[in-house]
Amino acid sequence: MRKLRAAVTAALAAALLTGCGPAAPEPSSATIYAMDTVMELTVYGEEELLEEATDLIHDLESRLSVTKEGSDIYKANIEGSARLSEDAARLTGRALEICALTGGALDISVYPVVRAWGFTTGEYRVPGDDELRELLKTVDYSKISLQGSDLTLPEGYMVDLGSVAKGYTASAVIDLFRGAGVTSALVNLGGNVEALGSKPDGSPWRVGIRDPMGDGYFGVLEIRDAAVVTSGGYERYFEEDGVTYWHIIDPSTGRPAHSGLSSVTVTGPDGTLCDGLSTALFVMGLERAAQLWRDSGGFEAVFVTESGEVYITSGLEDAFTLEPGRGELKVIDRG
Amino acid sequence: MRTKRLTLDALLTAVALTIYVVELQLPHVVPIPGVKLGLANIVTVVAMVLLGPADAAGILFSRIVLGSLFSGNMMAVLYSVSGGLACFVTMLPLKKLLTPRQIWVMSVLGAAAHNLGQMAAAVLVTGTPALIVYLPVLMVSGIAAGLFTGAAAQFAALRLKKVLDKYHG
Amino acid sequence: MVKTRTWVIIIVLLLAVSLGLTLWLWSRPRGDVVNIYQDGELVRTIDLSLVTKEESFDLESDYGRNTILLEPGRIRVSDADCPDKVCVDSGWLTGAAPIVCLPHRLVIEFAGGRGNIDAVTG
Repeated sequence: MRKLRAAVTAALAAALLTGCGPAAPEPSSATIYAMDTVMELTVYGEEELLEEATDLIHDLESRLSVTKEGSDIYKANIEGSARLSEDAARLTGRALEICALTGGALDISVYPVVRAWGFTTGEYRVPGDDELRELLKTVDYSKISLQGSDLTLPEGYMVDLGSVAKGYTASAVIDLFRGAGVTSALVNLGGNVEALGSKPDGSPWRVGIRDPMGDGYFGVLEIRDAAVVTSGGYERYFEEDGVTYWHIIDPSTGRPAHSGLSSVTVTGPDGTLCDGLSTALFVMGLERAAQLWRDSGGFEAVFVTESGEVYITSGLEDAFTLEPGRGELKVIDRG
Repeated sequence: MRTKRLTLDALLTAVALTIYVVELQLPHVVPIPGVKLGLANIVTVVAMVLLGPADAAGILFSRIVLGSLFSGNMMAVLYSVSGGLACFVTMLPLKKLLTPRQIWVMSVLGAAAHNLGQMAAAVLVTGTPALIVYLPVLMVSGIAAGLFTGAAAQFAALRLKKVLDKYHG
Repeated sequence: MVKTRTWVIIIVLLLAVSLGLTLWLWSRPRGDVVNIYQDGELVRTIDLSLVTKEESFDLESDYGRNTILLEPGRIRVSDADCPDKVCVDSGWLTGAAPIVCLPHRLVIEFAGGRGNIDAVTG
């Protein structure tokens, strides 16, 4: 009897050890509250990496935040100039490039206007025409000077890296994981998603894109080694006298951007670019955004119009799946 | 003789219909489609035992079609017919196997088969295999309800048999 | 003739298996993502973790209407024009069993895990 039991145990152990081929690594995950949002990190690797990533995120927040006293950006906004830390300088440089690429549809100097609308504090108000005209005089990214790590702002100017900071941070966390030899990880910084490699079984990561009109997601994007960032008016808005005002401000008018889009999703290998472009393309509208995509490379996009139509750029034809019952998917070609 | 038989069938159909419609008025104790006492099953079992398969089938399917008409739930016909068919096919061989004291078994297995048939129809009609998660619950509820209706059916059948025998004799 | 005891054993076995399966199925974990099927076709997918406020919508089909009510983290059928209203009586969707409206061929159930989604952007 004892012999039998030993044999059965041995057989079971053998089945457990060999039955499923090489054992899949266990994922470690953490939820962090930083940069005014909830962040979820999943890594197939050492659990200590999550602590390192958390430290990195808090460090970046303390340097890039526009509201945290003592941050590089806070100092520049108060004093008109500042010597930036390495990360802040690199990100400011990247941000200014994206501002130029989009012809000012993204403008990191729009901060005073955003503040006037109350989107930074939650004390929402509709600024008057005169007030906006006055504020727009201090909105022009091309007047901002970045020499090496020295940032200089014209009188009255203020910058905010919020439109690219989460994308940059996601990429930084992914770089940290990659440097530690990890081959599979996914970070979601409040909707800024970036993936390292594919899932351990080799299949792509599946990212749902939130439905701007309701709950749930309207489609799924399959990605490997890529970031996915979505911008939509539904994320933060207020209503006054029956009019909805959302947080994505058109730098050319100083008012919430109404370009006919309700959400823009940008995907590509560069998290910072995806983050910045998702805002910029929302401001530009479908036509101009499609033209920018044709003229430049490095990203693909999913657009949802205010009437609920879904457009994708042709590079996503295999990677994007529309949920059932969402009508017909329209593809934008290079042509 | 045939007229007498037909009258008896019609009478039992009317009884089954009445029971069926009354049971519909009872509130759902368990909010799962298909979980119910199935009191009309008593009549089916009684007919099967006393009158035979042909009469029982006639009564069963008349009751299902008319019952669905009366309750205004024609969508339910498909489910009920599938359930009724499965129930009947199960009861048929049991009739020969059971002693008069085992009539309740016919009711239990018939009720379980009824629920099984109904579930199969629901899976096919809705195209949702996931509905199968209901199957075990429906089996449990079918067996429980079958025990109750089975006891009633056995009691009724044995009593009625004496009446009928006396009447014929 | 088969002995009564044999019949009892058969029925008890059937009951035990069903009861065991019921308990096992009923204790499955629930997820966040809910799928709604009509006539076997997936018509809507809802991530309950993204529902922030109470809202409802109607699902109309050739068979009839069901009103779906959403609240943060949960979903139910709040009204329907079907004859039996089992779907309404079912209450909030649990991990146990789908909400079903057989007359309208409607099924609401949790998708496995997060609907095979690793993250949601936006």
